[in-house]
Amino acid sequence: MDDKPHLLLVDDERSIREPLAAYLQRNAFRVTQAGDAAQARERLHGYAIDLVILDVMMPGEDGLSLCRHIRETSDLPVILLTAMAEETDRIVGLEMGADDYVVKPFSPRELVARIKVVLRRMGRGGGVRQRAPETGSYAFSGWVLKAGERALIDPDGVSVPLSTGEFNLMLAFATHPHQVLSRDQLLDLAYGREAHAFDRAIDNHISRLRRKVEADPKNPALIKTVWGGGYTLASDVTRL
Amino acid sequence: MSRFWPKSLGAQLALLVALALGVAQAVNFALLLQATHRQNFVATATLAIARLGETVQRTRTGQTTPAMLRGSIATTASPLKPPMEMRADIAARAREMLEEVGIRVNRLEAAIVPASAFQVQVDNAGRLLRRAAVLRREVIVVTAEIGPRQWVTTAAPLPSLNPGVFGALIFQTMVLYGFVLLTVLWVGGKLARPLRELRLAAERFDRRQPLEPVAEQGPEDTRRLIAAFNAMRTRIVAMLDEKDRMLGAIGHDLRTPLASLRVRTELVEDEGERARMAATIDDMNRTLDDILSLARLGRPSEAEQRVDLPALVDNLVAEFEDLGADVALEDGSRLAVPMRPNLIKRAVRNLVENAVKYGGQARLRVRSEGGAALLEVDDDGPGIPEAEIARMFEPFTRLDGSRSRDTGGAGLGLALARAIVDAHGGQLTLANRAEGGLRATVRLPLGG
Repeated sequence: MDDKPHLLLVDDERSIREPLAAYLQRNAFRVTQAGDAAQARERLHGYAIDLVILDVMMPGEDGLSLCRHIRETSDLPVILLTAMAEETDRIVGLEMGADDYVVKPFSPRELVARIKVVLRRMGRGGGVRQRAPETGSYAFSGWVLKAGERALIDPDGVSVPLSTGEFNLMLAFATHPHQVLSRDQLLDLAYGREAHAFDRAIDNHISRLRRKVEADPKNPALIKTVWGGGYTLASDVTRL
Repeated sequence: MSRFWPKSLGAQLALLVALALGVAQAVNFALLLQATHRQNFVATATLAIARLGETVQRTRTGQTTPAMLRGSIATTASPLKPPMEMRADIAARAREMLEEVGIRVNRLEAAIVPASAFQVQVDNAGRLLRRAAVLRREVIVVTAEIGPRQWVTTAAPLPSLNPGVFGALIFQTMVLYGFVLLTVLWVGGKLARPLRELRLAAERFDRRQPLEPVAEQGPEDTRRLIAAFNAMRTRIVAMLDEKDRMLGAIGHDLRTPLASLRVRTELVEDEGERARMAATIDDMNRTLDDILSLARLGRPSEAEQRVDLPALVDNLVAEFEDLGADVALEDGSRLAVPMRPNLIKRAVRNLVENAVKYGGQARLRVRSEGGAALLEVDDDGPGIPEAEIARMFEPFTRLDGSRSRDTGGAGLGLALARAIVDAHGGQLTLANRAEGGLRATVRLPLGG
């Protein structure tokens, strides 16, 4: 009974909170509900919570503020429920220390999958939270990779949009310059163990990434292929 | 005519005043000409009559013969005969004047003749007439019968008009033009400046920029116009803001029940029914997203930045590929375009969605042409009848007219895409391809 993960579900909307709690309970979670931030703080003290699911938009103290409070006082993982898909909300949420976020209306199945991923990550780290998401900037060969905004800026100041996979790869390279990274390492660094990514997907993302950052994608100068080994970023990197 | 008609207020005013002034000066000139002419005529006639009187008097008293007198001749018959221009009015005046000084004559005739003609007829004409002939003037000739077969004739030349009169008049006109036109141009400019600023304010009206009220200047009418304009602009901004707030509130308020519904669908036992419910909710949510994007166009939260357009399109293509759609981007070189990337991404996504939905596949191409970035989205679908193309951009319009959920969408996609492209100062056009299928073309300015 007690091996069920204990979730704290904070949402002011009863019409979402109650059916969601019911659904989560059916999916082998123990769920405690809170209708506002004050109630949530109370529950956090009273129970051994494993993970908090937090609505961003709440009357009174909002979810972001509560999220920051949780982050300051504990290592509890937080998943945000947000009504807006705006990029800025996502960045703010992650900067407040949230581990993941889901946009309303969301599929409950997807939420369960995300909860499991976050819990597994916690478990793998021996109960210690992984570092808060990277928000620094890296400069290499005139390019700047801004981790917080997930943006890549070219030497002329032009923003080059990257998909999540490409960005994660680029960040992996930027944090390991001149190192040969095997496909396995890249999978681990860029997607995490739980992702269902294949070697082919890595090659696909690398070739897309090269199209975007290399002057001549057929003859790459920045992201080089190491025969039999993997890939390497052939540039010095400065942390900004 | 309209080609020469000036467009600006000041110039029109100046031209109108110039025309009016020109007409006035012309009338003035005609009157002056007439008065001068009349004056000359009277003076010359009087001179001729005075000479006649003197000649008659001297001839009668035997002091002299007409031939000896300057400008007078003696003949046995009247030298005046048609087609000379006979002037009974001068003759009557002569008789009056002569009688006043007590000279009586039998018959009196007068005429205005070209000096040359008169000279030919009377070859013993005096020196004066000779000179008059050289000068090609007209002369007033008066002749009187002072006895049987004894006629005395004198003449006086009509002076030519003094060219100095014209000079003075032209000078006066020029001075008048100078003063009046300069004043009018100045006043016109003063009137036009506040109007021009008003026009610029109306043209540049963009509620994303903070609003500076147009300065109230110029004459009272203009000031009131500007004040009314400022008030109207404030009202428009308030109305648009209200619209956005309402759409935003509607969107947000619908999200919550949708989220609730989405959670509850998981309680449905039937797998197929549950999937269909989830799909419907996703559809509603997409429409809601479109409405919210449309509402936010006026007040974008995103800053404009230069973004590599092919890279942005490539990300979209990858997303569609992940969903198993047949979407491909032709290789092209990099192209930096100033834009709000999330909005442009939404616009392009809508175009690709349409291409996939109606054409089964999408082929994308990015190139630069004439200072603009061109993005083409081609499909192999049935295309759109030419007459229907314009209608496709209206919100809630779909070609089949059914708005059924199984082809998806509420018809906002194209309207939103065009609104986004318009907001970037670009154009979105649809055209049927010669080889079949539809081509959507997005043209975005590359900026400075």
